[in-house]
Amino acid sequence: MATMQIPAGAGQAPEAGLPGMPGSAGTASERAAGRIWRAVKSNKKALTGAIILLLFVIMAIIPGQIAHDPPQAFIYGRSLGPSAQHLLGTTPSGQDIFAQVIWGARETLIIALVSGLLSTLLSMIMGIGAAYLGGWWDNGLNLITDILLVIPTFPLLIVIISYYPHSSLIPLIAVLVITGYSYGARQLRAEALSLRNRDFLEAARVRGERRFYIIFVEIIPSMTSLIMAVFLGTAVYNVIAAATLQFIGFGDPNSLSWGTMLYWAENGEALQTGQYLWAIAPGLCIALLGAAFALLNYAFDEIGNPALQRVKLTRRRHSPPWRIRAERAR
Amino acid sequence: MRRLKSLGVLIGTAGLLTALAACGASSSPGSAGKSTAGPSGTLTISNEFGSTWTCQFNPYNPNFSTLPFGPVYEPLAFVDNLESGKASPWLASSWAWSNGDKTLTFTMRKGVTWSDGKPFSAADVVFTFNLLKKYPALDLNSDWSFLTSVTQKGTDQVVMNFKTAGTADFYYVADQTAIVPEHIWSKISNPVTWSDKNPIGTGAYVVSSCTAENITYTANKHYYLPGYPKVETVNYPAYLSNNAANADLASGKDQWGNQFIPSIQQAYVAKNPGNKYWFPPTVNNEIFVNLKNSVLSNVAVREAMSYAIDRSKVSLDGEYGYEPPANQTGIVEPTYSSWLDSSLAAKYNYSYNPTKAKQILQAAGYKMGSDGIFNTPSGQPLSFSIINIGDYSDWVASMQIVAQEFKAVGIDLSVENLASNAYDADLYTGKYQLAYGTESGGPGPFYELRQWLLSSNSAPIGQTASSNWERYSNPATDNLLAEYPAASPAQQHQIVDQLEQIMLTDLPVIPVTESVDWFEYNTSDFTGWSTQSDPYAQPGPAITPDFGWVLMRLDPVSH
Amino acid sequence: MRHALHRLGFFVVTLWACVTLNFVLPRLMPGSPILDMMAKYRGHVTQKALEAIETAFGIETHASLLTQYWQYLGNTARGNFGISLTQSEPVSQVIGGAVWWTLGLIGVTTVLAFILGTLIGIVGAWRRGGWLDGILPPVFVITSSIPFFWVGMLLILLVGRFDPRFPTSGAYAYGTTPGFNWPFITDVLQHALLPALAILVTSIGGWILTMRNTMVTVLAEDYVRMARAKGLPGWRIMFDYAARNAMLPNLSGFAMSLGFVLSGAIVVEYLFSYQGVGYYLLLGVVNQDYALVQALFLLITVAVLVAILAADLLTAVLDPRTRTGG
Repeated sequence: MATMQIPAGAGQAPEAGLPGMPGSAGTASERAAGRIWRAVKSNKKALTGAIILLLFVIMAIIPGQIAHDPPQAFIYGRSLGPSAQHLLGTTPSGQDIFAQVIWGARETLIIALVSGLLSTLLSMIMGIGAAYLGGWWDNGLNLITDILLVIPTFPLLIVIISYYPHSSLIPLIAVLVITGYSYGARQLRAEALSLRNRDFLEAARVRGERRFYIIFVEIIPSMTSLIMAVFLGTAVYNVIAAATLQFIGFGDPNSLSWGTMLYWAENGEALQTGQYLWAIAPGLCIALLGAAFALLNYAFDEIGNPALQRVKLTRRRHSPPWRIRAERAR
Repeated sequence: MRRLKSLGVLIGTAGLLTALAACGASSSPGSAGKSTAGPSGTLTISNEFGSTWTCQFNPYNPNFSTLPFGPVYEPLAFVDNLESGKASPWLASSWAWSNGDKTLTFTMRKGVTWSDGKPFSAADVVFTFNLLKKYPALDLNSDWSFLTSVTQKGTDQVVMNFKTAGTADFYYVADQTAIVPEHIWSKISNPVTWSDKNPIGTGAYVVSSCTAENITYTANKHYYLPGYPKVETVNYPAYLSNNAANADLASGKDQWGNQFIPSIQQAYVAKNPGNKYWFPPTVNNEIFVNLKNSVLSNVAVREAMSYAIDRSKVSLDGEYGYEPPANQTGIVEPTYSSWLDSSLAAKYNYSYNPTKAKQILQAAGYKMGSDGIFNTPSGQPLSFSIINIGDYSDWVASMQIVAQEFKAVGIDLSVENLASNAYDADLYTGKYQLAYGTESGGPGPFYELRQWLLSSNSAPIGQTASSNWERYSNPATDNLLAEYPAASPAQQHQIVDQLEQIMLTDLPVIPVTESVDWFEYNTSDFTGWSTQSDPYAQPGPAITPDFGWVLMRLDPVSH
Repeated sequence: MRHALHRLGFFVVTLWACVTLNFVLPRLMPGSPILDMMAKYRGHVTQKALEAIETAFGIETHASLLTQYWQYLGNTARGNFGISLTQSEPVSQVIGGAVWWTLGLIGVTTVLAFILGTLIGIVGAWRRGGWLDGILPPVFVITSSIPFFWVGMLLILLVGRFDPRFPTSGAYAYGTTPGFNWPFITDVLQHALLPALAILVTSIGGWILTMRNTMVTVLAEDYVRMARAKGLPGWRIMFDYAARNAMLPNLSGFAMSLGFVLSGAIVVEYLFSYQGVGYYLLLGVVNQDYALVQALFLLITVAVLVAILAADLLTAVLDPRTRTGG
């Protein structure tokens, strides 16, 4: 999971070049967004992750243009191998596998993004809210978060989803959010606590700004990159957890997502009967989606903590061999 | 070597021998020569249970009854479901009905002993039935809902008295009740929870060892039929997953399977010479229509639904083609084809006809809405939900197809795939609109029809019904069903014809596919299987007591 | 001291929350597990038989909710978890048999992943700019985001199907007799190969990356620079100075992850049909065997809680700063 290093020298004048810190010109969020964009562009890992994600988003928005066959119609030949008409072959029930993979992107992405967003939102409320409100609010919200952090998530997921098995997305997303928000909440709380005593916030309080103003306009924009990291980290977790639940059979078997495809592939003993593509294609897509989020997440880590970045060893003659000059990786 | 003392035993043996002769030329070469050599060979069963064995063999514990009932514990007679209930002697050598078919007298076979050496007698049978009466939790077939008394007569006879004519309940008392030894079970304080780890039975096999991973049955050396069984050792490994069970079956490591194998030609038949399979159907998978629902109670809707379903497509795409398409009469073909009134079925002809489905709805005054769904005259859309067991992936696939086919004729169907306990709760209490389910059936179409149509099987909405979940109620039908047990065979056929007529005109349930027994077998290693040409029993190891009946007939092929 | 009491208090509160959750959840479920069991056996059920079975197996559904709760608390404290409906055996017996398999397979593999991952992370961070450091992040970021079951499926496909030395299901074959004999032990190890490999592949990435990141931060510290200036040999700085400090957060993370051993077992054991704790949890959930599910869930939670407590204590012992800071 991502770890954000809090820049040394808290309380000093903000340094330019560090993302998320308010500078002199423009609003904090605008500058943060611009910085993030430039950072993504220059970091190879972030770029790869972003491209993969973009490809999947395109698949999710216009699946019909990419795959011309209806994904769930039982109209084709059964268990056909890959061919020009069926790029990945067909299932034993006569459905086109390629169409299923393309159309499956939509629901898989929806699960990942919606649960990621909701989870991050909940983390923000429970984490930042607790940190800023302090006192009994802090203790109470923290207790809930800590309890949920400690209870093993996957068993809890399974036990809860067993009360709504084979059902639609909403219970699935709700359960993912409730069981997954606590790690991010802890991280956000820690960061918010450290920010609480910074000068710029003190200045805002002295100015007489209301609490909510301070939270929304000052604190949150300062934590943009951590919030991004929490979102991306949660997205990875949710993609894998949702796919695993669907694979075991707790999802809606009539839905169209990669996890559900794997459920049917497992039930149809795809690997044992030589229909390898049926199992490999959706699994590969899930892995790529998870990897995309994880790469972006890791890249954000590096952006936040420059020490982690890729360095190039430069050896100069007559110099001790262990001298390292750090350069920003191109 | 036991001398054959009574006619009963002769009949029994003769039955076995003729069955073997009918099996085909490859059956036991020179059984005369074999019978002196003793049992040989090892058979391994492939039937995925999902957990390791706890080595409990109480035949009245539903979790484990399929393990001992048949090979270790035996019933009074054997009833073959695949031959419309043809009965053969087992522990009882003969029986007779009297008193208007309200009294059934069994004569016990002589020379039977329990596997601990103590002699078997009629007293054990009387004890068993009265044990079921004393502990209702053991009476899994509700024997005492139709019995009034079970007593011993003389040294070797048992007399059972029924409340009404009991021929239709013969199956439950004679075939489905395992006889247990009085001298052991009378000392058990709680037979319901008793684990029975070392079962003492009369059967052809004893449990010689049991670990978490495997049960080993060994031929009973003192079995009352000389020369039987022929297979010496039977292994029953505990499989936690279908993949492992199917793999062992395909490779030949296991020879007798009870497995659902997807793409069975590539995955099983092609893998080993002698790998064969046969899936005999016995009951239907049908759509239960909640007849108390105001829209669904209109028969036109049900008729349209029956015409809208392409049953052969559901069979091929939803069930890999393993389960034959059903027909609206509810008669399972080919198993019970002799009961089908084909002219009646042809007259109504409920085959796939979406045009006709739409015509029926239009003629009944339904109007097609702009969204492609019909509306009732009062404006309600024909939009229903169907509950389904989400764990059965083939049922899930079948309902996906049915939903698409309903949509094509203007009926909107949303499928709710539930966990089985939520499904059971909703189904039994009638809290559903449509439900996809199956009954247990019995040795003939009458049993399934009775489960569907007898109003006393049902219950008001909100209360648990044991069957007839669609809440069908018609006093004339009840009378018809009540006449069956006492009727002659010809009359029984007529009654079933009339019941088929009810199925075709009232459509209380809509059969979709026929539910099958899974059965894989390897003929290179063993012969004597129950097959399509000689269906002497339900062929898989999961059906009891057929499990034991088949085991007795298996013969290792000498290589 | 105050810190320890605080943690202990938290432990108790969380335990109570889990126990209560365990009690409440199954009672929200519709239907009855007995109904399901009877449905398995032909469905020819009378209400009387149903009630009789319920009584025989100790399922009390007619007392008030509060009374049931007290009974449940008392039973749990005494270790009486009732009878498993699917196994017809006391739950403690079922768990007792299963827990060793889980600890064995997943516990051992997690320790291995931790040791290997930490070592690779240390070396990678030390050689900043080397090829190892270059490939570490992208490769292991990707491997740790692959869903476990897919790695397992690939292994089954690529290795298990073709080579019988790598069995793809079960903990041991039924031919061997359990016990301390060589054939049994080799059989168990063989069956553990593929699942262990799958766990290793997916979990090692996390350790490598965390270790590397903390190492990198530590390496930038002044005292490391001082050590270099003093002319200490590289490997000594790497292990004695940098790694020792970098390992602290990793170590407490590892102690926590041992608790999650039981939780992560579920998918592994499902895919490879390994009869451990996770497998039985799934079995119980699918078959509505509530006694089994409750006990297993409690076991897993208690294990995690104990591990976290141990991790906290370990950190306090190893890092004096936490003792005074609070």
